[in-house]
Amino acid sequence: MRVAGNVGGVFHLRDGAVVAVDSPGSPAAETLLLSSGRVGARDWAAALVASVEAGSVQAALVGRGVIGPAEVRAFALAAVRDGAFAVAAGEVESCEVAAEPGDVPALPVAGGVEPESLLAETARRLDAVASLPVPVAPYRDRVVPAGGVDPAVLTAERREVVFHATGRRTVRDVAFAVGRSLYPVTVEISRMLGEGVLEIASPRDSFTFSHGDLTALRARAEMREAGRPV
Amino acid sequence: MDYDALVAELRQLRENVAGVTDTVIAASDGIPIISDVAKSVDPAHISALAAAGLGIARQATEVIGLGSLSQTVVFGSKGYMAVYAVGRMSLMVALGDKGLNLGRLLHESRPAIERIGTILAP
Repeated sequence: MRVAGNVGGVFHLRDGAVVAVDSPGSPAAETLLLSSGRVGARDWAAALVASVEAGSVQAALVGRGVIGPAEVRAFALAAVRDGAFAVAAGEVESCEVAAEPGDVPALPVAGGVEPESLLAETARRLDAVASLPVPVAPYRDRVVPAGGVDPAVLTAERREVVFHATGRRTVRDVAFAVGRSLYPVTVEISRMLGEGVLEIASPRDSFTFSHGDLTALRARAEMREAGRPV
Repeated sequence: MDYDALVAELRQLRENVAGVTDTVIAASDGIPIISDVAKSVDPAHISALAAAGLGIARQATEVIGLGSLSQTVVFGSKGYMAVYAVGRMSLMVALGDKGLNLGRLLHESRPAIERIGTILAP
């Protein structure tokens, strides 16, 4: 099922259950696996090669002894729940059920997730984000470190968020930069805003336009025309 | 040159397409015209690479007979660099993270490129 919108996404369904959700709003299971350090880049690349024969990336990873099936499932399940939250937290323009199966997701949840339980979990997360003490829009709000906070007193996870909070990045961008799911990062950033560790970036920090006073496309075109041998 | 109009286009692109991290408009010889990039990104380098890449891609479409060139995309394990021709004289670069939806980017870029082309060569 294709959801058009900002950010939108694709729900992959098998036999009525959701096996994967791809959304530009939330890191995929693959990203979570790699950035958590649970699977190394080299093992992942090798698993992709082996998956052609093994039938699936999951089978290839497990077959290589890199990770157990239960753990892969946990990552894939986290990605499905986060993907559903990411789609629901954005604007939904339209939904379309594709008759043809689309691209096969790299790490589907075996057996899938019942749509009812996914809906309930997504509604719970939307409520939780809506009732945060400091409301945060994951796709609109850009954050910067507040002045006067010593990074040394922060937890490692918070230090990483602060490091990537350049003011150009939205909450969603920070989640991708740190390689963690959108929902926990949204909750964490809201808390950090409340505690004065982060603040909402000014438009001057969010966009950094610069130009070299080039006046010139046309002028150079004319020069080229003039310089052309007759 | 109407830089404010270019600013509006680049701003809109980054706001409307999740995953776009940096944007540059450059002349097709690789000289940057305007950029909106992170501190770690040098617009001069990106412009030069994009111009070279687009030149090769354009040659390839002509030599192989692939029709007209619409975009080139570099796929990395951590993100993307998409380059669009803006007429024959200039180009637009969009850098994106792993979550970038390339389909959405192309969809939003087409009208933007039309307008940018008009702004650059009124």
